[in-house]
This record gives sequence, structure tokens and C-alpha cells, in this order.
Amino acid sequence: MGAIQWLLKRITKIFGRNTSSLFYILLYREILKEINEITQNEKDSLIILREIGKRAASESCERHSSVFKFMPGSPKKVLEYFELLWVVVFGKELKEGELTYEEIPKEESIYNDYIIKIKACPICAGYGMDEEDTFDFQKIAEVDTEGLACGLCGMLESVANFILKIKHNDYRINIVEQQCIAKGGDSLRFICKIYDVAEWKELTSTHIQDKLQSDVLFEERLEEEVTQETKIDIVDRIQDIISLDKVDELLDEPLEGIKTKLAELIEDKLNMAPERFFEYFKNYEDDMIRILGFLAVHLFNEYGQYVEKILENETFAKAVGYIFKQLRDFTLLFIPIDVINDYHNLLIEFLDGLAPEEMVDNVRQFTGKDDINFLFEGAQMALENLGIDFTELKENIWEELRREREDGLIASDQTALNKTEENFPKILRIVQELMMLFSEILTLPIRVLISESHYGLKTAINSVVSEEEGLVGSIKDRIDTIFDYIQELRT
Amino acid sequence: MKLSREDLIESEATMNQMRNAIYHLQRFMKLNGITEIREKMRRMGRNIARSYVNYWIPIEFIDLNNVNNAIATIYRKILDSSVSVDVNESNQTILVKDNDCALCKYKFDDIEIAGCEIIAGLVSEMINLINEKRVNQNKLKLELMDITQSFTFGDKSCLQIYKYKFGGK
Repeated sequence: MGAIQWLLKRITKIFGRNTSSLFYILLYREILKEINEITQNEKDSLIILREIGKRAASESCERHSSVFKFMPGSPKKVLEYFELLWVVVFGKELKEGELTYEEIPKEESIYNDYIIKIKACPICAGYGMDEEDTFDFQKIAEVDTEGLACGLCGMLESVANFILKIKHNDYRINIVEQQCIAKGGDSLRFICKIYDVAEWKELTSTHIQDKLQSDVLFEERLEEEVTQETKIDIVDRIQDIISLDKVDELLDEPLEGIKTKLAELIEDKLNMAPERFFEYFKNYEDDMIRILGFLAVHLFNEYGQYVEKILENETFAKAVGYIFKQLRDFTLLFIPIDVINDYHNLLIEFLDGLAPEEMVDNVRQFTGKDDINFLFEGAQMALENLGIDFTELKENIWEELRREREDGLIASDQTALNKTEENFPKILRIVQELMMLFSEILTLPIRVLISESHYGLKTAINSVVSEEEGLVGSIKDRIDTIFDYIQELRT
Repeated sequence: MKLSREDLIESEATMNQMRNAIYHLQRFMKLNGITEIREKMRRMGRNIARSYVNYWIPIEFIDLNNVNNAIATIYRKILDSSVSVDVNESNQTILVKDNDCALCKYKFDDIEIAGCEIIAGLVSEMINLINEKRVNQNKLKLELMDITQSFTFGDKSCLQIYKYKFGGK
């Protein structure tokens, strides 16, 4: 699994609203039972549950559309990232080897069919063991109906097609549950078929009402195009050039390869030579670096606008402002100047050959320290945009706290104090992990420079810590731990 | 290897889509002339509790001394919610305030019944089932009275009110 896919999975999990999986599947069962009480027809109930699943997922996707902008834009890639879809819908990660993927060749079609098999289906887990598991699959005479995971299947299909719509792709995916453990199958199996939009419209033109045998009413809903399509923001522009799958591919390339790929992308998407593109920044090299800092913050915010939401609260905005100021001071204080210069050299190496010589020379005039300052200036501008008023901040957080206490704004009740005491060790652990992560990342640039002519970036990353695990493994473990601690802190 | 329900107790799943599904179910019920939606939501919760107690309970016995902790544990372990529980002995009610309800988040103009009716049904039934077989004068019996506030109605938290009585034999 690619690094970006893994990271997105962790982020998706942390921002979802979680409950115990047992509660999830029991609630799912109850929804099916309630539908069945109305239809009095098991086959119809499965059709309706699937439709409800589709609508529920569409609604969720529309609320968080930014999350999907970095997803891959082709149906084949979307299916290759099926595990990510699963995490978006279900929130629970699949264990190693639990998901298998089979491509079924399809003649006279651009895309093949795919069979996705999940060995242990959580929806079917223990189904039939409790008295309340009253939905009876034996009552369904037809063999070609879906099973217990039909609602989940509808959700997965909706998410997959939402991604394709948002990426302006002309294909859609139909995901059907082919085998169900609760119905006697040995695993959960989905068949995924890819259709062009015209075929898809025809396929989905049959009204749900017409599929139902019982007299129940079901509100038809036309498949809507994504409303965000007209709203082109900075992420739209960037994801046009680079998306999740492309980032993963790029990480496999050596530095030279990355440069070639970037040059191709600039030529392909912007219709100009890379040198011409970079010429726009000639004599504005400092601004170019500031833009990187600016973009980094805005891109981070694009994931669900969480940064913006957090900064709406004045206290949080101040806290983030102080943390940012501290980080800025600490970066230059604690990171050895040689390491900063290594990054600076890496930037020069990267621009060399892509950007005009004069521009590369101008960047050479900067020091590593300048780069860091420009990056922070850009990031600060973005944070100001998002709601932090840096002019209001005191010299340091302690002065602010002193003032708050005088105003009586900080709660002093026992519960809040207890909570802080309880959380303090967790916060310390997060800080500790962040520090370790930071120092591991610091060792990276020199390795990249040394290995760039022979190996890929991943080779450089993997060569740092140990042959068995590599830096990438170590960083992943550390970020995993940080996410776990944050999740612990949230509860 | 097949998963069992015990395997699912400690793992987590994302509620976002299921939360929406509850309101689509309510719309489907309304469209088909179902009037007792509130009771159906509560029944769903009670059914969930009846299955859930086969795999996990917070404690073996619940009385007035531990009811607030028991309720907080149920919300925390099952729903990942940190709630405040206020026991009012004068009118024998328990108020549970949830600022991050697992089943209510957005305001819907076409919905009259909060999704957390399911949660309240679950919690009261779970406590009743835990105490059911005990012969003890101090054991509590909980009944869901009302949900007076909910994110679904545009409020800033969900407020569930239970009535308790002592159910010793």
C-alpha cells in the first residue's frame, strides 16, 4: 500500500465519528429489520437497504467533498484503492491478506470486471447467534439477490462513483454483493463492473419502485451530479496535476525521475515548458518558497476544513498561533544548520535543470535559514487568512495565560482540572513521538542527495534506520502511534 | 476465518454513513404511513441492547451509587462519547448530556425524531437487563422519558432524560 493511501486511511479514521463495531453491525441489522417489517418481503428489504446505504453515503460525501479530491480519477485506480473506500465507509481497517483482488478480462471493453473478496465480513460476524437476528434469508427464493452487506455495498458504490464524478470521469462503477457469509457463502465477495456514463444511465434508469414486489412506497431520486463541480478551488487545480496515485508513483522514482515526471506534468497540464513555468518566479524566488508554505497550510485545511473550523474558536486560534510562533523559533534553534543547508541543497538540486539557470543561481544566494523563514512567512499568511490574528498575540503563551486568569476565563472547576491531569501524560507522549519523528525526518535529505543517482527516494528512505525496517517503516510506526494517542485523547 | 461478535467489541467503526441511514429510514417509514417512529427507534435500541449484553456489560449490578458511572461507561465503551450524567434523587430522574452524539449531528427540517432515541433505548434496556435477574431492593429499573434536546433539532447537545425506580422483589 502506498504511503499516501496509508496516511489518508489514518486521517479518515481519526476524523470519522467512531463507535464500537458491534454497535455498528447491530444497528445495521435493526435498520434492515425495520425495513422488513414494512415491506414484509425480504427481497424488497435488501433492495431498499442498498438504496438507503447509497443515499446515506452520497450525503456524507457531499458534506466532505474535499477529502475525495486527492483520490485517483480512473475507475481501475479507484478499485485498486478499494481498501481506502472500505475505510471511508466502514472505518475499520482490513488485516493483511484479508482482501483479495481479481481482474476478470472483458472483451470489447476498455475496462475489465473485478472481483473483490473479503475473507472475514464484519457485517455477517456471528449473524444468527442471537435471538434478535430475525431477518431470514431462507425466505428469499431467488438465488441472485444480494446478502446482508447490500447496504454496505450501496455505500461503497456511492463513494466510488462520487470520486469519479468529482474527478470528472466518464465512467461509473457498479458494485454488487455476489456472495454473503450470512447466506452460506465462505466469504464476502463483490463483483465490480465499470460502465460508461451512457450505459450507466440506462442501467440505473429502472425505478426502484418497479423492482419492488411489495406495495411499499419508495421515493425515487434522480442521480445528481456533484454540486461542487462548478466550484474550482486551489485543490481542484492541484489535483488536476497531481493526485494520490501519482504521488505514490512519484515516490518510487529517483530524484531525476521525479524531476522528469514533474516536467512532463507541467508540459502536459499547463502546456508550457518547465523552464517557462519557473520563469514566472524568476526574481521572485523568495515568494515561490513562501507560496509553498502558504499552500501547505491551505492544502492541510482542505481536508474537511478542520483547520478553519478549529480557528473559528478564538481561544483555539490563539493557542495555534502560539504553537506556530514557538515552532518557528524552535526550528532555527534546534535543527542543526548543516541539516537546514542539506535541505537547501536538495532544493537547488531539484530546481537545477527544471528552472532557468539564473533562477537557480538566485536560489543559491539564499541560505537554508532564509528558506525556512520564507516557508514560515508563507504559512503565517495562510494562517492569518484562516483566522489567526498574529498582531493580537503576546510575546509568549505564559503572558497570555496570566491575562486570561485575571479575566477569570480559564475554568477552574475540578472536572476540567481532572481532565487536564488525565490528559497531560497523553499530550506529553504525543510531543515525545513528534520529537522522535522530527529527528528521524531530519536525517533524510543527505541520504537522498547521496543515493539520488542510483536509487529511488524510497531506497534512500529505507536505507536510513536499518535494513530490516527502514526509515519509512519507522516513520509509519511513529505516525501510527501519534494517531493512536490523538484518538485516545479525543475520547 | 470467520469473525465473531466478540471480535467486534474492541474494534471501532465509523458512524458517519450509518447516522445518515437512520434518517433515511425515518423518511421511508413516514412515506409508508408509519406513525409510531419514536417507539420503533427505541425498540431498535432495546434490540441492540439485548444482543449486546451477550458479549459485554459494564458491571454486574447497577444501583443508585454506581448508575452514573455505569451510564458513562456504556456511552464511552459502546458509543465513544464522554457524557455528563446528572442523577436527581428528588424526582428520580437521570439527565444525560451528550455533546458529541454518535447518531445526531446535523439539523434536519423534515425529521421530528432524534436518532439518539435508539441510544436511549439501548442504555435503559441494557441497565434493566443487567439487573433483571438480581433480587435486590436497591436495583434500578430505567425508563426513557424524553429527549428534550438534540443536534437533529438544531440544539447544541443531546439531552436524554430517564426515569428510574427501585425494582427489588
